[in-house]
Amino acid sequence: MKLSDLKAGETGVVKNVLGSGAIHTRLLSMGILPGAVIRVVRTSPLGDPVIYEIRGFFISLRKKEAEYVEVDKIVPLHLVPPGSDVHVVLVDGGVGFIRNLNSMGISIGKKIKVVERCCPMRIRTDLGEFTIGMGMAYRIYVR
Amino acid sequence: MLVAIAGNPNTGKSTIFNELTGAHQHIGNWPGVTVEKKEGEMSFEGERIRVVDLPGTYSLTAYSLEERIARNFIIEEKPDVIIDVIDSSNLERNLYLLTELMELSDRIVVALNMFDEAKRKYKIDVNKMSQLLGIPVIPTVATRGFGISDLQKVIVKGEFKIKKFEYPSDVEERIKKIENEIEEMGLKNARWHAIKLIENDVDVISKFRNEKKILHLAEHMRHEIEDIYGGDIETLMTSFRYSFAHGLFHEVAERINVGGVTITDMIDYVVAHKIFGIPIFLAVMYLAFNFVFLVAAPFQDIIDFAFNGKDVAGGHINGLIDISYMWMSSFLPQWASSLINYGILRGLAAVLTFTPIIMLLFLVLSILEDSGYLARVAFLMDRITRKMGLEGRGIIPLMLGFGCNVPAVMATRALKNEKERKLSMALNPLVPCGARIQVFAFITSIFFTNNQALVLWSLLILSMIVVFVMGFIYSRTIFKGEGEPFVMELPPYRVPTLKGITVHMWEKSEGFLRKAGTIIVGAATIIWFLAALPWGVKYGSPQSYIGQIAFLIAPAGKYLGLTPQAIIALIFGFFAKEVVIDVLFVLYGTKGAIAIAMTPLQAYSFLLFILFYTPCVATLATIYEEAKSLKFVTFVVLEGLLLAIVFSFAAYTIGLALGVGT
Ligand SMILES: Nc1nc2c(ncn2[C@@H]2O[C@H](COP(=O)(O)OP(=O)(O)O)[C@@H](O)[C@H]2O)c(=O)[nH]1
Repeated sequence: MKLSDLKAGETGVVKNVLGSGAIHTRLLSMGILPGAVIRVVRTSPLGDPVIYEIRGFFISLRKKEAEYVEVDKIVPLHLVPPGSDVHVVLVDGGVGFIRNLNSMGISIGKKIKVVERCCPMRIRTDLGEFTIGMGMAYRIYVR
Repeated sequence: MLVAIAGNPNTGKSTIFNELTGAHQHIGNWPGVTVEKKEGEMSFEGERIRVVDLPGTYSLTAYSLEERIARNFIIEEKPDVIIDVIDSSNLERNLYLLTELMELSDRIVVALNMFDEAKRKYKIDVNKMSQLLGIPVIPTVATRGFGISDLQKVIVKGEFKIKKFEYPSDVEERIKKIENEIEEMGLKNARWHAIKLIENDVDVISKFRNEKKILHLAEHMRHEIEDIYGGDIETLMTSFRYSFAHGLFHEVAERINVGGVTITDMIDYVVAHKIFGIPIFLAVMYLAFNFVFLVAAPFQDIIDFAFNGKDVAGGHINGLIDISYMWMSSFLPQWASSLINYGILRGLAAVLTFTPIIMLLFLVLSILEDSGYLARVAFLMDRITRKMGLEGRGIIPLMLGFGCNVPAVMATRALKNEKERKLSMALNPLVPCGARIQVFAFITSIFFTNNQALVLWSLLILSMIVVFVMGFIYSRTIFKGEGEPFVMELPPYRVPTLKGITVHMWEKSEGFLRKAGTIIVGAATIIWFLAALPWGVKYGSPQSYIGQIAFLIAPAGKYLGLTPQAIIALIFGFFAKEVVIDVLFVLYGTKGAIAIAMTPLQAYSFLLFILFYTPCVATLATIYEEAKSLKFVTFVVLEGLLLAIVFSFAAYTIGLALGVGT
């Protein structure tokens, strides 16, 4: 789907950036690249442009520009309702963070179940049941 | 020694530049364009160092004017050191530009600015970063001057053993092949050129257009890389650089707190709100204007009174100009004294009366800009301004225009696109400034006592409609843009520092006073000659050249309902719009005399003419300073005159035909 199809509050992971010339390079140099997580923050009074969060900062894109960005919709773990089974698609963090998650059986492609949402969050993985902080849940994206 | 300052927009580049150079700076334009260029000098242990502030950019591609300017400067002027100013609270994206700079230079100093803000988000290991990169990394808080002296020291004495970042080996191999060919040509920056050739960079490709062999090789390499990694070359190369930035970021920075609602989020929730956003913006502007006029008015009155004196019931209280005229007349020929005082000095006085309002409008503008609110305005208004070919920020100069067109024209600098800037400057004079509104208030008070507000509003609304329509037309014809993308960062809100705003305000006001000021004084002198010659006539009387010109045009004025006196007033109004009132008084004598000299219809036609015709000389001087093109200034003059004639003529003819107001 297109980035412009996401609604306020939803999150996507960039699949591809289309277009050519100025718009293409501009989007890329702002860090809108395949694999990057992008969140819709809010839309303007007339619905266009829209503010997005990417790599920890905010940018405003016109609809026409957001249409160049292809995304897959993903959900940060902390928004997943208890009882659901989900697949991990992305973890956003450094090597340490990724290693830490691996030790709990959370890595890209793995299936996890949210046992209890809050607070703290309890999840079940292949390796057993774990408690994770909200700060961590924010950075684990699932589908 | 030459130092260039590079960095993303809004990272504190200007603040660092100001801290480094102090008062020794010069603001101009980059050759041939309206992008601002700041140059200054700093001295360190007796050595004088030239410092150039490059335009703020996110990368160094060939697709935007700013980026081209920045990279061409680095390639052509070969600065001895490049300072990369980084917003350390937004490290990852800022490091991306560093990866591009590293391809152009070995001597880079990283200024980790906004270190105060970063400390709340991350723990940054500065030494590790410096070691990993092999270049000096200095934490700074530019607003407090923290780290500036360290920065100065490493510029001169720093050690540079830069560790270039590398693309994956199958890309590096291919870069190397092209690099070798380029080195044989004896061209500098071979690696950078090789990379850009692979990336299909339009500028570099055209630079090599006669080197068919290299171009072929590059194309071949490009396709191979695209085949290996899958995807288009720009996405791939950018991804490689970004993964370096991403990796480095995670190596040196450790997040302290994650998630949670920031102050910026909370403010945006209200200020950028879907429903409340625009009303809040209008309220903010309303308050800002009230503030500006409230504070500026007394200053303007005092300056005006001091120089020009005042007409009162019993005659005229002499101002400094009158007094100085009488004094000089005691030892100079009368004409010389008149030229000096009523020509040059009056011009200076006009510049000075403008000054308070200009400074205050700049104060407002600086606060809007430095706090981060301007970006929100752009976000809120973009959909509306886009119809007239302007991005959202274009609303600000148009609104400032209601205060004074001079700072408004200077505020068009906020627009990054050259075409949009010109368009915005062409539209601005059509917004009636405070001085014109003053004239409207005066004239309507004479002719339209019963429905003064209605007439005033009709003028204001007409001007808004005309601005909108002209913008719509221009943006689709003469100022047709290439559709440059509008990708705008929304910086976090910051409390503007007193020093920051005063510096901004001063820089701009000083620029106006010095450059436009000379043009205004020059124009005042010319007007003096026109009003005082031929010898012996009463100043500004129908026998003077101005009077003669007016009577020459008078027959044409008849079609618009303009009396010769009104035309003289309009000619003087070119000098400063509020002068129209004075001249009418001088020519007619009393308010009562003015009231019977024109019909209400003629008065309305006169108002319409004032609404649109040629902006005052200060505005024109500013437009010239910003656009550096006489052709463009002529265009603005003609545009105004034409609109004025069309509207006056239409109103007068229709009015006559319908028999209203006669
Ligand atoms: N907190 C903080 N604010 C800063 C620092 N340096 C600059 N600023 C503020 O950041 C804003 C942008 O600064 P400016 O120099 O205009 O940025 P430029 O667009 O890169 O030239 C202004 O409001 C400055 O006062 C800093 O080190 N710390």
